[in-house]
This record gives sequence, structure tokens and C-alpha cells, in this order.
Amino acid sequence: MNDFTEKPYDVIVCGAGHAGTEAALVAARMGATTLLLSGNIDTIGQMSCNPAIGGQAKGHIVREIDALGGEMGVNADVTGIQYRKLNASKGPAVQAPRTQCDKKAYQFRLKHTIELQENLTLFQATVNSLIFKDGKVIGCKTNLDVDFYGQTVVVTTGTFLRGLMHIGKNRNEGGRMGDYSARTLSASFLEAGIELERLKTGTPPRLLGRSIDFSVMEEQKGDEEPCLFGFYDTREKTDLFHVEQSGERRLGWTPGEKQVSCYITYTNEKTEAIVRENLHLSPMYSGRIESAGPRYCPSIEDKFVRFPDKPNHRFFLEPEGRNTNEYYINGCSTSLPLDVQVRMIQSVPGLERAVILRPAYAVEYDFAPPTQLQASLESKKVENLFFAGQINGTSGYEEAAAQGLVAGVNAVLKVRGESPMVIGRHEGYIGVLIDDLVTKGTSEPYRMFTSRAEYRLLFNHGSAELRLAHHARDRNLLEFSRLSRIERKAAAVGEWTERLENERTAGGTFAERARRREAEIPFPAEFLALHAAVREEVLYRVVYRGYLERELKQIERMSQVESMRIPEDMKFLDIRGLRAESVQKLEAIRPRTLGQASRISGVNPADINILMIHIESSRRRRAKMGL
Amino acid sequence: MNSDNDTIAAPSTPYGESAIAVVRASGPLVPGLLKRIFGRTPPPRRATHAEYRDRNGERVDDVVFCYFRKPASYTGEDVVEISTHGNPLIVQKITEDLLERGCRPAGPGDFTRRAWLNGRMDLSQAEAVIDLIRARSDRALAAANHQLRGELGGRIEELTEELLGILAEIEAYIDFPEEDLPPEGRGGPAGSIRKLVTKVDKLAATSHYGAILREGVGTIILGAPNAGKSSLLNRMAGRERAIVSETPGTTRDFLEERMHIGGYCIRLMDTAGLHETEDDIEKLGMEKTLEQADEADLFLVVLDATVPYPALPDALAKRLNAGNTIVIYNKADLLQSEPRKQFLPDCAQVVLSALTGRGMDQLEKLLEGMLENEASGPEADRVAVSARHAQALGAARDALTAGLASLGKGHPPELAASELRGALDALGEIVGRVDNEAMLDKLFSAFCIGK
Repeated sequence: MNDFTEKPYDVIVCGAGHAGTEAALVAARMGATTLLLSGNIDTIGQMSCNPAIGGQAKGHIVREIDALGGEMGVNADVTGIQYRKLNASKGPAVQAPRTQCDKKAYQFRLKHTIELQENLTLFQATVNSLIFKDGKVIGCKTNLDVDFYGQTVVVTTGTFLRGLMHIGKNRNEGGRMGDYSARTLSASFLEAGIELERLKTGTPPRLLGRSIDFSVMEEQKGDEEPCLFGFYDTREKTDLFHVEQSGERRLGWTPGEKQVSCYITYTNEKTEAIVRENLHLSPMYSGRIESAGPRYCPSIEDKFVRFPDKPNHRFFLEPEGRNTNEYYINGCSTSLPLDVQVRMIQSVPGLERAVILRPAYAVEYDFAPPTQLQASLESKKVENLFFAGQINGTSGYEEAAAQGLVAGVNAVLKVRGESPMVIGRHEGYIGVLIDDLVTKGTSEPYRMFTSRAEYRLLFNHGSAELRLAHHARDRNLLEFSRLSRIERKAAAVGEWTERLENERTAGGTFAERARRREAEIPFPAEFLALHAAVREEVLYRVVYRGYLERELKQIERMSQVESMRIPEDMKFLDIRGLRAESVQKLEAIRPRTLGQASRISGVNPADINILMIHIESSRRRRAKMGL
Repeated sequence: MNSDNDTIAAPSTPYGESAIAVVRASGPLVPGLLKRIFGRTPPPRRATHAEYRDRNGERVDDVVFCYFRKPASYTGEDVVEISTHGNPLIVQKITEDLLERGCRPAGPGDFTRRAWLNGRMDLSQAEAVIDLIRARSDRALAAANHQLRGELGGRIEELTEELLGILAEIEAYIDFPEEDLPPEGRGGPAGSIRKLVTKVDKLAATSHYGAILREGVGTIILGAPNAGKSSLLNRMAGRERAIVSETPGTTRDFLEERMHIGGYCIRLMDTAGLHETEDDIEKLGMEKTLEQADEADLFLVVLDATVPYPALPDALAKRLNAGNTIVIYNKADLLQSEPRKQFLPDCAQVVLSALTGRGMDQLEKLLEGMLENEASGPEADRVAVSARHAQALGAARDALTAGLASLGKGHPPELAASELRGALDALGEIVGRVDNEAMLDKLFSAFCIGK
């Protein structure tokens, strides 16, 4: 047998989607011996749904991933075929990059990156069950009758856990069309006392490009100047490599060249009539699917039923890559039978002769409600077991990748006996994401929105590196050279924010004039010579100063509560004065900080005050005994 | 959840008229406040006589104040204690003024909790502090519920819903720029915000907590028909008020009389008689009585001492205890001997004649004792709760106005959203934190999202 089965790995990652690849890469880059298992290594980093990375809040997350040394940002930049900055007309805090990617190129580059990564072993096998010992996970069993042992295991099953796909009455087992279903792994979780529930999501049909009449549609082009995810002002230029048939790392191609277009068309009364006549054939409406789907990504059936006043719905036709003629119809998720899909599609202008390459379908899958996790993404029930991605009830490549990265880092830290990396709600969207998951759980596939962040204005995408630099430094997630560049950037931003605030010109200080949004401000040449990334950040801080200071003040106000740790073995039941309802909630969620406790619904300020006194008196008691 | 680096303020003497009352503030703002209010920061621990002038420069009262420099104070922080004349309205004005100057109303047990956390109390006192926080917060919660059950609650609920709708609209255009949303209206939701400001203003005017101060402690007269409830009310009020009639069940309106007993203001309410009835109007009256009893703080149970005592409905009997109920054996003028005092034997008992006035002194004394307990408890909390509501409404208004201004200047919508979220948080102080999920629910039900 392969020698890699002999010695236990530091980290085993089960699943090589967007969560699993980030987890494996970061673990290996931190120096941990890492095994990445995938049922099919031809589908590494596959974009199972839309061919794009980023967008509102998600684009912010990708920049944060990049700031922590993750791969998603660069991989999307290099394999992008159309680049757009969303919300360009609004303020910087809510602007975000979105990139259409060549799906195959995305996968190939990611697979190649993994193949070349030191400390990382890639192996094709399906994980059938986990191996537990004394309440800890110690490895996994595969379909090849080969067992692997690891000090920690990161599980990223996506939609594969007992995945069941629906097209009308047709049902197929699998996590994605053409792929298998992880049928037995769920039993392992149940055996360990981990609860599972079902969620549902869907994907639209894919069409053959040459069967589409684009001439009647509205064209949507990319931005001439691409807005990228990676921080290339601090990254090494060689990070921008891409892969071609030779399998070599190549430079010399600049993201943003030769962009492709998307096209827009609309449904009409005919479409609506076809959908309405056949509603009873949709498994969502016939009751064959009962699990909750996402509110923000309704099926076309839902759109017609829930918004009867809306005369038409928009479809985006998005190319899936440069070397394929396959198009993704954004906005047309459905689980109607195939013949109905064909008629419905062909009722839309430009799609009269459209040929479907792959039908739309809904998929149901198991997820493990994430309130069973600690903020490190380690299971509360089983030590050394980490969860990331859709198994935690999230949706989206970006949300998955962010969790994968955090779970990978924390698995390594666990092996080393170090404290976990927990990103605060005040530090970035990744912090909001994980805190929401582990504190509140979710009843639909969880997607990030900027409105979920209390301190949204501080989370402009350009500041991700500055906000998260201390985590990257403390955990050695970035090369020393990049860290130094980030430090210099932070210093320049600080210095120039102050200078613009203090240096006077004829019409007041530079800062005052910027806040008045004057068009032509004669900034010092030195300032204009700075990197655009620095200038933009400085101007953002100056123009929005009042708002940013207010959010910073709120953070400071909360800091005492946020930082007060609740001992892991706290027995909430024994705390005098807590209300029964609070005790129940606190016991179920087991928050690790007072801040987290305060966000649990039903736990009121008096309970937090009582907890605070309790924690402080235990501390004083211990101090008194000289412990 | 508030943090401990802000400054808290609250009255620290029981509610009611008294010789002096004390308002206390604790936190980092205190030295600055003294300078601004009194023009100076005197040496610590020295009582200083001064005029209290509010933010508009109007004189509120002659006060004596004492500054305690941290850490040598009750809480371990900078503290000021302001002694005023013991008039509830003065106390209210000073408290309000401190809140307007940036303090926040002290939460239940806040001063003591800070004292404890700052090491001003012994470890052994932790449990006592916890009990105090629990008790105070339960009472404050009860007081808040008491108010929110009424009109105030419904209207704040309405405001919150409206605000969520406006926020959902702004957020939809921020978070879903790629969606096929209806074109953004000129000026966005400015009109709706303006309407909301007007509504908040109106509510703030009506829910002003002075009104509650004036209202007094709810005291309700219960009893069988013709036991003499109305006569008692009239006797206490000193004038003919209720329709007194020989026909049982005449009092169908709920007559109210405000009066002072000792230093306390009470709101004395007459009720329809409690008995089994087929008469629809009276049935309604009975239900109303039970409802009133729900909101009352003190109970005067009037019995006709000359006839057998009736049974009380269970729902009512549960509310009565030794701390809030006086049993009155009326019509003593018709009695040959002392009546059998076995009705609710745990409660205070008094024999009187509403007709002749015999026994009224004793009733007043008992009532005063009870008020003393009551006023230092729930009623005082109710005032504090109301102050909190007023402050929250004010904050919501300010935030809405700022959001409106931001939209007006054509600033990016996420800035207005930031202000409106502030308003939502402020309303949340009253009705409980409004989760972002509520906004998302509104958003997804109003807009077809799903690219």
C-alpha cells in the first residue's frame, strides 16, 4: 500500500471543493502534513452552480481570504473572463468585485496549485466513515478499504451528504449532476451524536451557445479596468501564474484581457403560463421536497407565484468558459420536469431554438446545524473534528472557502496545541459569517449580505488586508516579505490620513475639501505618487471619517463584553439568578465570550450582567487561592 | 448590552414626594458634566450648593452636589450625587437633562454591578449583587411590559415595522445591485422617513414619562355589587363622584380619582361589581374589571360586613397578597358586633363605614405603609423605564433625521442605512433587539431577488 497510510497526518481534509481546497492549502502552507481526499480529483474546485466568484459581500469575503493567504482570489483573477465592480455608483464600503471565471481553467489551476504544494498529498478516494476513539476523531475509512489516520479531520462534504437531486418526478442520488452521493458518512456523524438536518438548493439549466440568438438580447460587458480580488500591491507578482496545456506555471498574461460578454433576456406571459400550468409537477410544490431552500435564490416557479405583479423576470446568459460553448442561465433555477423546462426556455426571446445541455435540478442534502460548532469550527461533540462549507448550512463558493481557510488554520493550531484563530465580527465578513453560524445557526442556506455586518462601513474591500494583518502575522499565514509590505502599507495609510487632515491649502485642509467632495483638489505630488491602493484607502478614511469613527467607537464600547471569555466548562445551570430560558439557550449554544452570549436571542442584558459577575467572581476566587 | 465605559445616570432615592431626592451619575463624563452644568469641578467629597441649569440654561432647582473622584467612590468611577428638593418633577427634569447630555439611563442594578466589578465590594457580596440585578430587572421588565401592553407598545411595534420596510428598501439596492429591481425612486425613501419622524415625535410627546409620574400608583377598589365601593371612593375623594345608588350594579363606568396619600400620588379606580351575571353590559363590566385588576398595583377589597362574603374569581384571587391588598369590612355603622375577619386572612384588615367615615384614618395609614413599599419598587422602576423609552424615542428621531439629511445631500445610501440602523437599535431598546433577519424577511417578501 502507499506509504502515506502509515504515518498519521496532521490534517486530513475530506472533500476538495471550495472549502476543502482552502483548508488543505493553508494547512500545508503552515507546515502541517496534510492529506486531501476527494471522491473524484477531476472535480477539484468545481463551480457547481454559477460560473462567477464574488459580488456583494461575497467579493468582500474573497478579498479577506486573500488577505489571509487563501487561494480563491488569485485563482479567480487569473482564470477570469469577465470582471465587474458592482455598486460602482455607491460608496466604497459596498462596492465589490465580481468575476466570471472559466470554470475549467479555474479547476485546472487550483488542482495544479494543490499538486505542487509542499506537505500536501492529494488522493482520490471516497470517505465512507470516520474513525472515532475516546470522543475524538482519529481518521477515516474509504471506499477503497484503506484507512487514513490524522490528528485532525476537516469535513467539507458540500451537497454530497445523502444528496438527492430532483427534476420533476425524476430523482437521482448525488451531490451534483454526474456525481455520486456520500451515502454512509451521515451515519458516522449520527453515531458521534452530531445532529443532521436537510437543506435544499437548485441550479438552472445550461444551454448550447450556438443555439442561442444573442442578437435580440442586451449585451453586458465587463469593466475595462478589472477590479481584482488579490492584493497585488503586496503579493508576489509570480502569484499571477496560470496553467496551460503544458502544465507549466506561466506568466505574461494580464487579467482583464480579452473579456467575454454576458447577455440579458426576459421571460414573458408565455413563460409564466407554462410555469403556472405545470406547477403541480414541481417537487417543491407537490410536496416531494420539504426542506428549506434559499429565499434569495428562488426557483422560477417561486418567482411567478410569489410576485404575480411582476410581468417578467430577467435571465442572464453567462458563458461557462473560453473553450466551451456552454452557457449558464442565471435567474432560471427550477426543478420542473425536463420537457417543461424545454418549453419554458424556448418561450423566452432569443432562446426559441435553445438546446439544453444539462437540465436544471434541485438538490437536497444533509447539513449539520452549525450551532454544534465552536467559533474555531471544531465540533463541540467530537474533538479534532472540523466542519466547513455547505455542511454548515451555508451557500456560495466564497462562504465555503472562507470557512475552509479558518478550519484549516485552526486544525493546524489544534495539532500544535495553540489557541484557535477567531476573527471578530468587527474585523471582517468572515468574522460575521462564522459568528452568525455558530451562535444563531441557520434555517436556509446561509449567504452573506453586507447588511449582516454591524460595522459594514469599516469593511470596504480595499481594507481587508489591513483589518486582518494581525491574524496573518500571529499565525504566520503570509510570507515575511508580504507581511512587511502590508506593514509599510498600513503605515503609509496612517501617515497620509493624518497629513491630509492637518495640511492646509487655500480652501481648508485637504481632508475638509475631500469631505466636501470637491472635484479638483491639488493633492501633494508625493501623495499622488503613492500606490492607488494606498490612496484609495486614505481617501476613504478621510471622506467617511465621521461614520467610521462612530463604528470604531461602537466597537470599543462592546470590547469589554466581546473579550470577556466564558470558561469552556461553565455550568450555566448552576449559576444563581439566570432565567430558565437563558440557561437552556446558553447550554445549547455554549458561547465562549460574553459578546457571543449577548447575541443569542432570548438572553437578555440582565443575564449578561449576571454572567459577568459570575465569571469575575470565579476569577477572583481563583486569584485568592493563588491559582 | 451596554459597556461599562459610558456614563450612567438615575434617581437613587425612592419615587415620591420627600424632603430631598438624590440623582446620581457615574462614569467618565462626570467631571465634564460638572463643569458644564455648574461651571466648576469642586474638590472631591465636598458638598457644594449651586443652581442646576439645564441644557437650555433654564434653572431647574437649587441643589447640593457632591463629586467623588475615582476610584474613591461607590462605583469606583467618577461619581456625582445631586441632592434636589424631593419633588418627582424636579428629579425627572434633572435625570432627563443628564441623559440629554450624553449619559444613559442606568440599567437594573448597574451602579452596584459597577461597584462590584471595580472591586469596591467583597467577593462574598457577589451573590447579593446578582440577586439585586435579577430582582430589579424582573421588576423593570414587569414595569416595561405593563406599559408596552398598552398603546405605547402597539405604536412602537408599528414604527418598527415601518422602519424595517424602509431599511429593507435601501438595503435591497445595496445588497442586490445585479437584481431586476424596480428603478430607484428619486430621493429614495425620503418621504417615508419624513413621515416616520413625525410619528416618532408624536409618540415621544404622548409617552413622556412625566405623564406616568402624574398618573400615580394604580389602586383598584374591588367588591360585590352594593358592598359600598363607590361610597368608599367618594369618601376618599371627599366629594360625590361616582353615581351612588341603592340598585346593585350601577357603576358601569370606571371612575378614576387621583389623590395624594402621604407623599404619594395614587390613581384610585372604582370598578363594576364582581358577581355572576347574565346582563351583557354587566358581563362586559366584569371582564373590564378583571383587565383593570391586571394592571393595578394595589387592591382595596370592599366587603359588605352585614351579609355573607362572596367568593373571588380565581384569576383575581391570584393577584392578591399581603403586600398589595387591604380587606375592608364596610357598613360598620349597621353592625352590632365586630365582623368575622376571615376573608384573605393574610392581608391587612380594616373595619370602617364609608357612610360615617369611621375607620378611614386607619385605612389611610395602612395604605400609606403599602405605598411606601410600592413606590420604592415597581412604580419607581416604571418611571425609570419611561425615561428609557423617552430617551430611546429621542435617539431614534435623531438618527432618522440624520439619515434623511444624508439622503438629501445625495450621499451614498449605505450612510443613510447606517443612520436608520441606529434608529432601529434605539427602538429595539424599547421592544427588544430587532434581529437583522426581520429586515431580510421584509426585503425578500417585498423584492423578487434571485439572479
